[in-house]
Amino acid sequence: MEYSDDGRDRRITQMRKGILELAVMGVLYHERHYGYSLVRVLTETGSISLKEGTVYPILARLDRDGLVRSEWVESDQGPPRKYYALTSLGRQLFDELSQEFELLVSLVQRDWKAREQSEHAGKRLVVRKG
Amino acid sequence: MNQFPPVVAMIANDYLKRVKSQLRLVPAPERDEFLREIQSHLYEAYRQTPGDDDVARILAVLEKLGEPAEVVSDRLPGAMVRSGTKRNLPLYIVGGLLIALFGIPLGFGGIGVLVGLLAALAGVLAAYYAVAGSVLLVGAVFMSMGVVRILLPGLWDKLVLLGFIQINGLPLFDYLSPSEQGLVLILFASVFVASGLGLLRLGKHLLRGLHFLFRLALDWVRRFARSIRRQLRRDKLAGLPVGGLSFVADR
Repeated sequence: MEYSDDGRDRRITQMRKGILELAVMGVLYHERHYGYSLVRVLTETGSISLKEGTVYPILARLDRDGLVRSEWVESDQGPPRKYYALTSLGRQLFDELSQEFELLVSLVQRDWKAREQSEHAGKRLVVRKG
Repeated sequence: MNQFPPVVAMIANDYLKRVKSQLRLVPAPERDEFLREIQSHLYEAYRQTPGDDDVARILAVLEKLGEPAEVVSDRLPGAMVRSGTKRNLPLYIVGGLLIALFGIPLGFGGIGVLVGLLAALAGVLAAYYAVAGSVLLVGAVFMSMGVVRILLPGLWDKLVLLGFIQINGLPLFDYLSPSEQGLVLILFASVFVASGLGLLRLGKHLLRGLHFLFRLALDWVRRFARSIRRQLRRDKLAGLPVGGLSFVADR
């Protein structure tokens, strides 16, 4: 029996939704960006294909929660650009979330062979809720 | 310089209008700011998309950006997102290409042509299914003849005598034993049944294509009706570009 493409795509979408928000926060942590430049940074490695429009709902959400601030800046090459940067609240949350993310990654990628050798290794890994 | 070739400006502004229509329940200042942001995105993305074909470039930009419903999804409280009206991007691309090719939005004449085309296509589809049905029917008839030949040779002889079954021009057939004749008939029938089923299966794609075209046509008619309504009402906003701004054509 094989898994369906739909099922796989749905799971990838679900997984990306949360992680993409974190990635956006990560990018805005270090420098301010406008929507299109943010997309460029997120896709520059070429390893992920992204519907560009998805960053706007994420930015809207972050804005609504006070995690980013935005300002319009005139551009000499076209219409003004709306730049976003992480607020101090956003930075604080990103620090926490990225720790949580690392825990989750280690949960997915833990070394099973090493675990088998050590009986109690599983107890070390705690996934915090909430 | 936010100047686009006319066709590109038309396609980009149409997209912005669709975004705007998704945001009709959002307060005007917020809506206009978001439209400005998307306009900025379209401009930046268009500028950085390589290619000589302007229409292909802007369509590539829109395809990467995604459907208006996706782009605005978090601008609205969940219940306000008009989930049922999400349009497919392919519709938009075909629409964009047609606008690019003919340069005019479809008027009454265009709708007439569209209805005619769709009726013709529906006719082709009906004919297709009629053929598929006939092939299956032929298969079923041969199949039952084969079964009768093998299991009820008496009935077969009677049918031949009565003239219901006439096998002419096939001298080889008479050399075969009754069960061999039956097998030949069943084999023959299987080819027809398989072809008929194959046609039905392929028909699904045709149906899907036609369904797509019908939706495309409905979409156009709806848009056309809306523009007429707007003109008739002489709404003061009718002539204004999206959110008080729009792309300017440079030719």
